[in-house]
Amino acid sequence: MSAASAREATPKLRFTAVAKEFVAPRTGKRTLAVTDVGLSIEAGEFVCVVGPSGCGKSTIMNLVAGLDAPTSGTITMDGRPIAGPGADRGVMFQDYALYPWLTVSQNIGFGLENGTPGRGLSRAERDARVRHFVELVRLKGAEDKFPHQLSGGMCQRVALARLLANGPDVLLMDEPLGALDAQTRLILQVELLRIWGETAPRAERKTAIFITHDIEEAVFLADRVVVMGTGPGRIRAILPIDLPRPREEGTRADPRFAALTKQVWELIRDDAYQAIG
Amino acid sequence: MANSLAPSPSIGLRSVPLTIWRAIALPLLLLVAWQLWAMGLPADTRAPSPAKVLAGFVRLTLAGDLPLALIQSIGRVVAGFLIALVLGLSLGLAMGRIRWVRDGLEPIVESFRPIAPMAILPIAILFLGTGTPAALSIVAYAAFFPLLLNVMHGVSRVDPKLVLAARTMGVPPLRTFTHVILPAAMPSVLLGSRLAMGSAWTAIIAAELAVGAKAGGGTSGGIGQMMFVFYAYSIDLNGIVVCMIVVGVVALLIDRAFRGAERILVRGREAT
Repeated sequence: MSAASAREATPKLRFTAVAKEFVAPRTGKRTLAVTDVGLSIEAGEFVCVVGPSGCGKSTIMNLVAGLDAPTSGTITMDGRPIAGPGADRGVMFQDYALYPWLTVSQNIGFGLENGTPGRGLSRAERDARVRHFVELVRLKGAEDKFPHQLSGGMCQRVALARLLANGPDVLLMDEPLGALDAQTRLILQVELLRIWGETAPRAERKTAIFITHDIEEAVFLADRVVVMGTGPGRIRAILPIDLPRPREEGTRADPRFAALTKQVWELIRDDAYQAIG
Repeated sequence: MANSLAPSPSIGLRSVPLTIWRAIALPLLLLVAWQLWAMGLPADTRAPSPAKVLAGFVRLTLAGDLPLALIQSIGRVVAGFLIALVLGLSLGLAMGRIRWVRDGLEPIVESFRPIAPMAILPIAILFLGTGTPAALSIVAYAAFFPLLLNVMHGVSRVDPKLVLAARTMGVPPLRTFTHVILPAAMPSVLLGSRLAMGSAWTAIIAAELAVGAKAGGGTSGGIGQMMFVFYAYSIDLNGIVVCMIVVGVVALLIDRAFRGAERILVRGREAT
């Protein structure tokens, strides 16, 4: 077997029988957040994770990010177990986690300035990289503004630019569009795919895990949708989304889009009803 | 005509907004009444009047007594505040971030906190004498608690996601501390500083008064002692009122200066 084919055989990320149990600090009560998670994600793949609240979507993301360790099972990246947080896996948090005392540019450059991604880069190179991503997410003219002066959609772009500026291999996004109004969401979904590299060949795309509770959003964005269920959190089904790329507004009118959406909803429905009591 | 371009003849009194007139009307009236009342008293009265207070202020300023006392008091407040800042900041950061430090120190902090700075005074005088060290320790004590508590709460309330985000960007722990936790807690640090400076200023006056009392004019100096001398020796009520006003104005200026610093240092964030 050649080196190249060996690398191809190793998925970017692999979950093997992953379970995570939380122990409440005071009561000592144990909660099984997720169990029996097995999943392989190829390099350049866009995977959406959907499920009702309490299905452990965010737990999955924290485990890949290395912010939490699984209670049992293993998660590997390029064949190596994940040992802790690292800039090779960039995280975009639900409420963006921007630094309110820094400007747009300073936020985007935060990892380059203070973390591992900036190592070996000169000041000029860092600045150029920040400028590049400012332009990519269309924030030119807003570089010196502070987060509180921006709309939700603009904050989301800053967070996305910061994520990308650190040059991670894997993008982890936890409901990044969750706080936006419906119209802005639709626009940013298309933009997200553009920035992810939808039009680029697959080898140049980033690997992405996108957590959402919005079924249509998941179907619109993903190569595969991972449907999770509750009690305890686990994978119910993995659906390939064979809609053509690049996806545009018209994609939503595709009958296959409606069929896939319906299929995901049917998988989630029972758990979702249970979740709201 | 109201909107004529010709310069209005009523510029002056009428250009002052009505709200300002309302705000100063009563104080002005009281001042006038006070002055009138004082003018009806016998000529050799000790009772203060606005005119005598003003004269006293000018006399004390020109003689250099008031500026000197003020500098002395402010110097002690600044020194005491800096001691409290070092202690409050380091302990507050540790208590806000490290659970076992907080668990270990909180009972001590909470049992000393209700003890007013003045209640420490007898011990301070017994151990440190009636000079600057005693006054300093009272000031530091008074300033310590607002600083400690605000820093502690500010640091413990830093949005955990900001710290997690730094970790996912490969930011080392020390750098996370200086570049995430500290700036995130900055509004609380500044608020604590402002409140601490307020209590420090209150405490120095009282401490100098009391230390001055014990030493009978002693070595304390400062504006508090100046008041004590006016009260116990020369019985100069006008001098006391001058000191009261100066103390109040300085307190106001300190507060304004810190608010200004807050606005500049906490730029980019909405006022909290």
